[in-house]
Amino acid sequence: MKAVGARLPRYDGIEHVTGRTQYVDDVKVPGTLWTKALRSPHHSASFSGLDTSRAEAMPGVHAVITWEDVPLLEYGHLSALGIPADEPLLAKDEVRYKGQPIALVAAEDEDTAQAAVEAIGIEFEERTPLLDIRRAFDEDAPKIHQWGNWYPHFEGEMDRRQIRKGSIEQAFEQADTIVQGVYRPAAIEHVPLETQVSLVVPEANGRLTIYSCTQALYFSMGVVAAHLNVPLNKLKVVGGTVGGGFGGKVDTATETMCALLAQKSGRPVKWRWTREEEFLCSSTRAPWHMEIADAVTKDGWILGRKMLTLHDSGAYARFSPYGLTKHSFHHTGAYTIPNLEFDGFVVFTNRVPTTAMRGFGVTSVSFATETHMSRIAHVLGLDPYEVRLKNANRIGDTSPNRIVYTDPSTVPVVKALAGGMGVELAPDYAAMDREQRTGDLLPEHLVGQLADPEDH
Amino acid sequence: MNLTVNGIAREIESAPLTTLLDVLREELGVTSPKVGCEQGGCGSCTVLVDGEPQRACLTAVAAVEGAEVTTVEGIGTADSLSAVQQAFTHHYAAQCGFCTSGMMLAAEAYVQRGGTDDREAIQEALAGHVCRCTGYVKIIDAVAAVARGEEFDITVTAASPGMTNLGGVQ
Amino acid sequence: MAVKQGRGIAAIEYPTGMNQNGDPSQAWIKVKPDGRVDVFAGTSDIGNGSKTIQSQIVAETIGVPYDWVTYDNSNTDSSPVCTGTFASRATFVAGKAVEKAAERVRERILDIAGKELEIDPSDLEVVDGEVVAKGAPQKKLGVPDVAAAATWTYGELITGTGAQLKPYAAIVDAETGEVDLPPHSAISYAACAAEVEVDEETGVVQVTRLVQVYDVGRAINPTLVEGQIEGGAIQGLGLGVLENCYPYYPSVEHRGGQFGSYLAPGFEDLPQLDTIIIENPSADGPYGAKGIGEMANNAQPPAIAAAVYDAVGVWVTELPITPEKVLRALEAKAEPVREGKRVTFDAELSVNTVSQGGIAFEVPA
Repeated sequence: MKAVGARLPRYDGIEHVTGRTQYVDDVKVPGTLWTKALRSPHHSASFSGLDTSRAEAMPGVHAVITWEDVPLLEYGHLSALGIPADEPLLAKDEVRYKGQPIALVAAEDEDTAQAAVEAIGIEFEERTPLLDIRRAFDEDAPKIHQWGNWYPHFEGEMDRRQIRKGSIEQAFEQADTIVQGVYRPAAIEHVPLETQVSLVVPEANGRLTIYSCTQALYFSMGVVAAHLNVPLNKLKVVGGTVGGGFGGKVDTATETMCALLAQKSGRPVKWRWTREEEFLCSSTRAPWHMEIADAVTKDGWILGRKMLTLHDSGAYARFSPYGLTKHSFHHTGAYTIPNLEFDGFVVFTNRVPTTAMRGFGVTSVSFATETHMSRIAHVLGLDPYEVRLKNANRIGDTSPNRIVYTDPSTVPVVKALAGGMGVELAPDYAAMDREQRTGDLLPEHLVGQLADPEDH
Repeated sequence: MNLTVNGIAREIESAPLTTLLDVLREELGVTSPKVGCEQGGCGSCTVLVDGEPQRACLTAVAAVEGAEVTTVEGIGTADSLSAVQQAFTHHYAAQCGFCTSGMMLAAEAYVQRGGTDDREAIQEALAGHVCRCTGYVKIIDAVAAVARGEEFDITVTAASPGMTNLGGVQ
Repeated sequence: MAVKQGRGIAAIEYPTGMNQNGDPSQAWIKVKPDGRVDVFAGTSDIGNGSKTIQSQIVAETIGVPYDWVTYDNSNTDSSPVCTGTFASRATFVAGKAVEKAAERVRERILDIAGKELEIDPSDLEVVDGEVVAKGAPQKKLGVPDVAAAATWTYGELITGTGAQLKPYAAIVDAETGEVDLPPHSAISYAACAAEVEVDEETGVVQVTRLVQVYDVGRAINPTLVEGQIEGGAIQGLGLGVLENCYPYYPSVEHRGGQFGSYLAPGFEDLPQLDTIIIENPSADGPYGAKGIGEMANNAQPPAIAAAVYDAVGVWVTELPITPEKVLRALEAKAEPVREGKRVTFDAELSVNTVSQGGIAFEVPA
């Protein structure tokens, strides 16, 4: 091999170190207008009297847009995956999170744009927000979403993501101990050094050139095309060089608005978020609430897992149903657990909508299940490496969704970690491998649960 | 208003309270210093003012009248990379590249004032420059290498000292 | 009151590609009259180095030097669909598309060279920019000459297209979650040990060392893999002990709107990093590669939580593990509730305690 496996220099390395890499904000087009947004100051409110006339009349203001300017106001970014639309591009009649965009202004300079935003008339009537996902199911909880407080459109119009395997009742019965715990990782920001930004240029032939920081050129193009109700060749998305993304630049947070402003004004329009907007208004990693009850034997076999997950989706669904589904598929982690009862809910709250971030769906379940594993070892007085090696998935084991593992590496990585830490494993454990369980290595609770090796 | 930017005397037309960052990027078309936060919190806008690192986003251009401003464009080019630029290439110290300009100028200033390859000293000198991509390890590797006066082969990138490759499945 | 040391471990897995698949990536390649190679793909490089990886894959697959390859991902007019740079798919899924396109190009090069050299293409290979007869290296023709012949003798544009799409794995039973096909392109594995120092007086958790093991399938560019591992380690550390959009979650008050008030990890937070890479190749990724990008920040938080317990005897399971949380936990000295065979931690956090009956988590006594 010449190129593969070689420590070749970055394709864009020289550009990066000479300051020549071109990010969206480095693209300079004469006549570009600055954009500022009117954003909701409330977590939950209805509004009326939205009046942009004074803003539009201001010298130096070239376009103002509200929900009325959007050909298709609500477009579900993952509608191809069966997740219906629920979020308006710009707020109509109500706001569901602090920072939600209501109107946008394109003007000659930043100060004029900001002054115009402040000249937009609007009256709010605040409502009680729902902020705690554990309270979302209560009768007296504020109803904050047209679908109810949690997502109801999983397959078969189920209101939860469900995994069932074997018999959790039997597992609890056979267990020597049941270990229960609650895990709550937080919402965090993506913090890319480059904030959300796009520049849209209306071309002479009627096309729109969209300079975008998106992580997904075609995905974002599809979103803009849907909102504008135009075919894909009306748009040209230019980008591919992003100043950090981490999952936060898939939401297509600025491109459609700039496109509408560019069309309305006939001028190039740029919207570059301030760092404050990036911290306070951009979509975040989701907070999660996970409860686990594991049925375990005294020698450390996990017979069954019952789990409840509440995913805090924020005000709208965005990609949350997808993230929860991925989470559910991986709730046994690197181990084989034969009896499962998993229920997961995508719950709405009045905070900034949550989105994908590095590890989407699985970061949370890894935190919960691995901390829980450490607790199990502690409660049973067992070695943390041994408990993991014992339950580690082997070739031929099946996943929560009944897919056969053909190539798991749990045993090699745990053994390599022991080696790296200078931990000497007991001989039985040092001898373990990832090969199909046979004979003596087959624990009672897995008998009858394993697929025939010939099946895969 | 006069300012020397990368060795060239420039006459500045922007208003005196315009930030040096906006003067460089918008008026002069020097785009290597980046708009990361405009709060002085990330270091992406860092330039050298008379050799000292300064946050261009917090500097009114009037405050640096007559000074020598150096940006990345002024320390080397693709055909003639400075030692810091070579080290950052060889040690793969840039991923998305957005923090890189500010980071390299801080590194340049550190080495110019006699900074050594002591990793803690480098961490302290560059503290306040935020990088979200690299985890800082290779940035420190690069600066340490420059401090040691190492030569760089930029046709390959260096291995991290803390890595071991075990090969196939164990 | 002292500074106590502790150690904790975690072992995890993570899928490559979008969950349930159905996420296409496509690429096309053309060869210039002098043999240089132009790649058009739609994959955004967010710093992960996908431009580099895909260029390496093309160079290797065709058999030309890395610096003969030009990579253009800049716009949707010239580049075909790539679903996007997320789900750890840029190397496996998008990389597979360019690999396939490069294979087509290599076939065309061998075919034309075969005509020029009057040798069967199956007896030829491309090495370092030259088409060479296997076992008879003196019979050769440079790729630039092949490209010239294509342009001016045969009237052919040497090109290749590639598309990678793993079929959508449908959920066939919504009650059980059973799927009909593997819902991923591959699975990667990792393990992590965290060493921490916890100051019992201030509650501060300092992560001093992370020992990590990663099975990456195949490191197309080892330095790039290291970059993901190092960058991911610090983001995982941030998730574990520093960062929170809502410091008083579920309240939305007191959000940090600046770098000083939102605690993104800095140079001062960097622990010692010791990493071991295992290459257990994937069945059908390009050259056996698997995804690494996202998994890199998943193993640290649980390892750190276990290390904190090891150090000072408290479990903090609400992230981040801030000094305030450690101090409150030390003060509370909470013990799990033991009832029969049940050992129940964190009862005060459970829906059973907080909800007003709308939802419960019931476990048999």
